Amino acid sequence: MSLLTIDSVGKTFSGVVALNDISFAVAEREFVGIMGANGAGKTTLFSVIAGNLRPNRGTITFADQRIDGLRPDHISRRGVARTFQIVRPFGNMTVLENVMLGAFYGRGRERSAGAAKAKAMAILERLGLADRADLLARHLTLAGRKRLEIARSLATEPRLLLLDEVLAGLTPTEVTAAVDVIREFHKSHEVTIVMIEHVTRALMALCQRIVVLHHGQKIAEGTPAEVAKDPKTLSAYLGVTAQ
Amino acid sequence: MNPHLNRTLGLVTLVALLAIALPWLGNDYYTGFFFELVTWIALAESWIIISGMTGYVSLGHVVFIGLGAYVAALTWMEIPLWTIIPLTGLSAGALAAVIGYPCLRVRGPYFVILTFGVSELVKFIIVNIESALSQAGRTLFAAPDINDLYFIGLGLAWASVMIALLVRDSRFGAGLRAIRENEEAAETIGVSVSWFKLAAFVLSAIIPGMVGSLLILRSTYFDPLQIFNPQTSVLIVTMAVIGGSDRPFGPLLGVALLVVLQELLWANLPQLYMIIVGVLLIGVVIWMPGGVYGRLQRAFAAKPTAARPT
Repeated sequence: MSLLTIDSVGKTFSGVVALNDISFAVAEREFVGIMGANGAGKTTLFSVIAGNLRPNRGTITFADQRIDGLRPDHISRRGVARTFQIVRPFGNMTVLENVMLGAFYGRGRERSAGAAKAKAMAILERLGLADRADLLARHLTLAGRKRLEIARSLATEPRLLLLDEVLAGLTPTEVTAAVDVIREFHKSHEVTIVMIEHVTRALMALCQRIVVLHHGQKIAEGTPAEVAKDPKTLSAYLGVTAQ
Repeated sequence: MNPHLNRTLGLVTLVALLAIALPWLGNDYYTGFFFELVTWIALAESWIIISGMTGYVSLGHVVFIGLGAYVAALTWMEIPLWTIIPLTGLSAGALAAVIGYPCLRVRGPYFVILTFGVSELVKFIIVNIESALSQAGRTLFAAPDINDLYFIGLGLAWASVMIALLVRDSRFGAGLRAIRENEEAAETIGVSVSWFKLAAFVLSAIIPGMVGSLLILRSTYFDPLQIFNPQTSVLIVTMAVIGGSDRPFGPLLGVALLVVLQELLWANLPQLYMIIVGVLLIGVVIWMPGGVYGRLQRAFAAKPTAARPT
């Protein structure tokens, strides 16, 4: 039973085709990776799913209901959360307040400040940000802000979490730590994850399945091992023509 | 609700109760001065609900004062005062809903200019209605005396501070501040940004509408060009910004400063007032982005929280 079904989705920006006839499905509790060179349409795909952009064509079904064309806040309420590749913390609010906002709104819609605070603190503990809870978000380092993006999304109690290059710009040690945290969360929570990543090592380690985009089209889909051997992927990434 | 907020609300109420005594301390001149003070507090505190919290800077708040004044001028002597005041608040709220729906779709300087333009538009609509009715201004007879107006104004000032404090500390207020920090991120985590902005705009218009009815009963003469004067909008913004618009207590400082300044210059150098206001505004924006209150808060904070490496 698939949680998310993307069916022939297309998105153009005044003539420029960003997504062309994309179809794939994500099962409940699955961990799917999205690969592709810069400009392949990965972030556009997330924006279309989360409602930040409207698709021009095709349908998106989440938990058996159409969500294409809905507003981002409505999609969030149904249980889709995304992080932004270029982090968007609420800079003049504390780290704790940022995460409490996720708990206040989103799918959980926590009414009481006390409960939201408890939930936010629990998530901050898990992501190793608890000691910085009272710091203004703009004072965090990049690695901290990337974690904050994840923490804020998780606080919305998503059923589907869309992670957009949360590892980019981190040091190798930080990547290893973040990969552990994400894997742990996927295991312990009833959450389905779709992750865009350039750090191939992380994708191979985390994902059960990988979708490869190139110039707005899906060129390959399969297990990490299959995708790594796929001739189209190799030619898109390395420019080599498979024999 | 947290105990700290309860204490603050209690303190504000206590100060307001003590301020009831002010008319007995002095003469009508002093009462007039305190009337000025409480009406500006009510205006600046209402303004920060939309502009301080969401970052949508309204440069047209005089439109709500003007409409409230117009409604009061039309209904004075027709219906009792205690129905006029809520009615002016409701009219201003309704106008905010009508204006806000289209205007809140644009951000930054576009919103600023739109609110300014719309307030001028409404002013000239009312000027034209009045001239079509062959009315050259309206005189309000038998207006309440300054003490009564002061008590109502004090009540509105108290209410505006209470609302600002409660909103600032609420789930709703957190959503508004998230809109200010990053509207797209706020919407993506589930904040219904369009509704929140509209609700904040309406909430910020109601008390200014009621203040409009008090101002017109104080001057006893309704002239649309005077009551819709855009300078009033500019003064509201300046008071809030000088004091610090992020915290409910900020505007109180800005209001106190400018009302005292105005009173001091009134007799000798009235033309200097707006020049000084302009210089103060520029200076504060450049050197004290958090306003006087923000600066004081920083100065009194035991140790500023320093950024620690991750």
